[in-house]
Amino acid sequence: MSNEHTVKSYEEELRYLIDSVIKMGSLTESQLVDSMDAVIKVDKDSIDKIIKSDDEINKFRSKIDTQIMTLLVKRAPMAIDLRETISSLKISQDLERIGDLSKSNAKKVKPLPLDLPEELLGNLKRLGDLVIKQLNDVLDSYVNKNYDKAKEVWEKDEQVDDLTYIAMESVIDFLSKDKKNLDFSTHLIFATKNLERAGDHITNIAESICFLIKGEYLKGSRPKGKVIQQ
Amino acid sequence: MELMNEIKIKSKNLNVYYGEKQALFDVNLDLNEKEVTALIGPSGCGKSTFIRCINRMNDVIDICKVSGNIEIDGVEINDKNLDVVSLRERVGMVFQKPNPFPKSIYDNISYGPKIHGKGETKSELDEIVENSLKKAALWEEVKDRLDEPGTGLSGGQQQRLCIARAISVNPEVILMDEPCSALDPIATAKIEELIDELKKTYTIVIVTHSMAQAVRVSQKTGFFHLGKLIEVGKTEKIFKNPDNKMTQDYITGRFG
Repeated sequence: MSNEHTVKSYEEELRYLIDSVIKMGSLTESQLVDSMDAVIKVDKDSIDKIIKSDDEINKFRSKIDTQIMTLLVKRAPMAIDLRETISSLKISQDLERIGDLSKSNAKKVKPLPLDLPEELLGNLKRLGDLVIKQLNDVLDSYVNKNYDKAKEVWEKDEQVDDLTYIAMESVIDFLSKDKKNLDFSTHLIFATKNLERAGDHITNIAESICFLIKGEYLKGSRPKGKVIQQ
Repeated sequence: MELMNEIKIKSKNLNVYYGEKQALFDVNLDLNEKEVTALIGPSGCGKSTFIRCINRMNDVIDICKVSGNIEIDGVEINDKNLDVVSLRERVGMVFQKPNPFPKSIYDNISYGPKIHGKGETKSELDEIVENSLKKAALWEEVKDRLDEPGTGLSGGQQQRLCIARAISVNPEVILMDEPCSALDPIATAKIEELIDELKKTYTIVIVTHSMAQAVRVSQKTGFFHLGKLIEVGKTEKIFKNPDNKMTQDYITGRFG
């Protein structure tokens, strides 16, 4: 927004809404980093903290909802302001879902043994690192209103799909070696799938940002990587 | 692609001057038949001047000069030989402030048809009065007091009376210059609903300062600034994602 509103308080309300989304985004990002860390290090002590941080994210979500409702009622936003308001609503929904997935992954650490094979963890870590980078990039593109960067994130989800496939294969491989691995390997399969789904929410955010900036949705279907058969 | 209605009114390089002062600059604007076109823009931007060109209301201002073209159904209306009275029969107008004649409700409606030679018998006039009031959604409220003065009605009713009066001569186009700005929200809602109904029969052009009203009632919106038509397009596009920065600044309240 280059020009300011004639009504200063309107300007402030919009700024406050965008700031809330940015703050919620960075909270979601650190929660994802923490939960990934907990999985890779099989760090059972951090589980509670991660679960608790999800409450914070949920609170942000309802705060943003209230802000949006007030804005709609008071200002009846138009054009860029309308798109800013609607995309805040959508982005905060996706962030909340990413938070849920991070929490779910943290919970999966509990039953894991401390001696998981390095190759398996390596593949999972590569996937996690990419999803974290994707979230970081998409939030960056939101802060800087960078259309090209958001579109890049959207396209890069193909790599998330590919790494999900590889990570999934190594979990299945590990599982098939010994039946007693079955129990906690199931948790690892879910954790891998959760990361892939977090990736999908990130592409949703990228789509919302592109819509916010240009007023039209990205055309065509997103490039897809290898997909695990459901 | 979505189908648009045919063009009813076409302005080409329309320029209007009040003495030395130029009020409109090369306005090219097409208005579609049986659609509502909303004209928005800050006060003094030329939107009212524009609609007053469509029924040659500017003729009554001595210092006003109009150049360029306005066509209705392909026929130039700025032609000096054109019968202005019959033009105004085809192009009705409703103003900002309800302005009923100081006559009865019945006479307010029957006056126009009478001077245009429509409705020669009492029963024909009765029928016109009833139909016009029905179309203006006022019949039920006034049918038992048609001989009472029009000025005794509430503001919203008076405005619907003025709309009924405009309809009574069976026009093709209705021009509305801020028709709701003096009305409360319920009266406004009634007029807006009426506009929605009237567009099935008439081509409507409405000047409004309310963005929300423009979005609610119109299919096409034009934004004027300092006598120039800055942007025109489908209403949804204008209010969600206008092409012009100036349009965006105006509708989001960042202007001036």
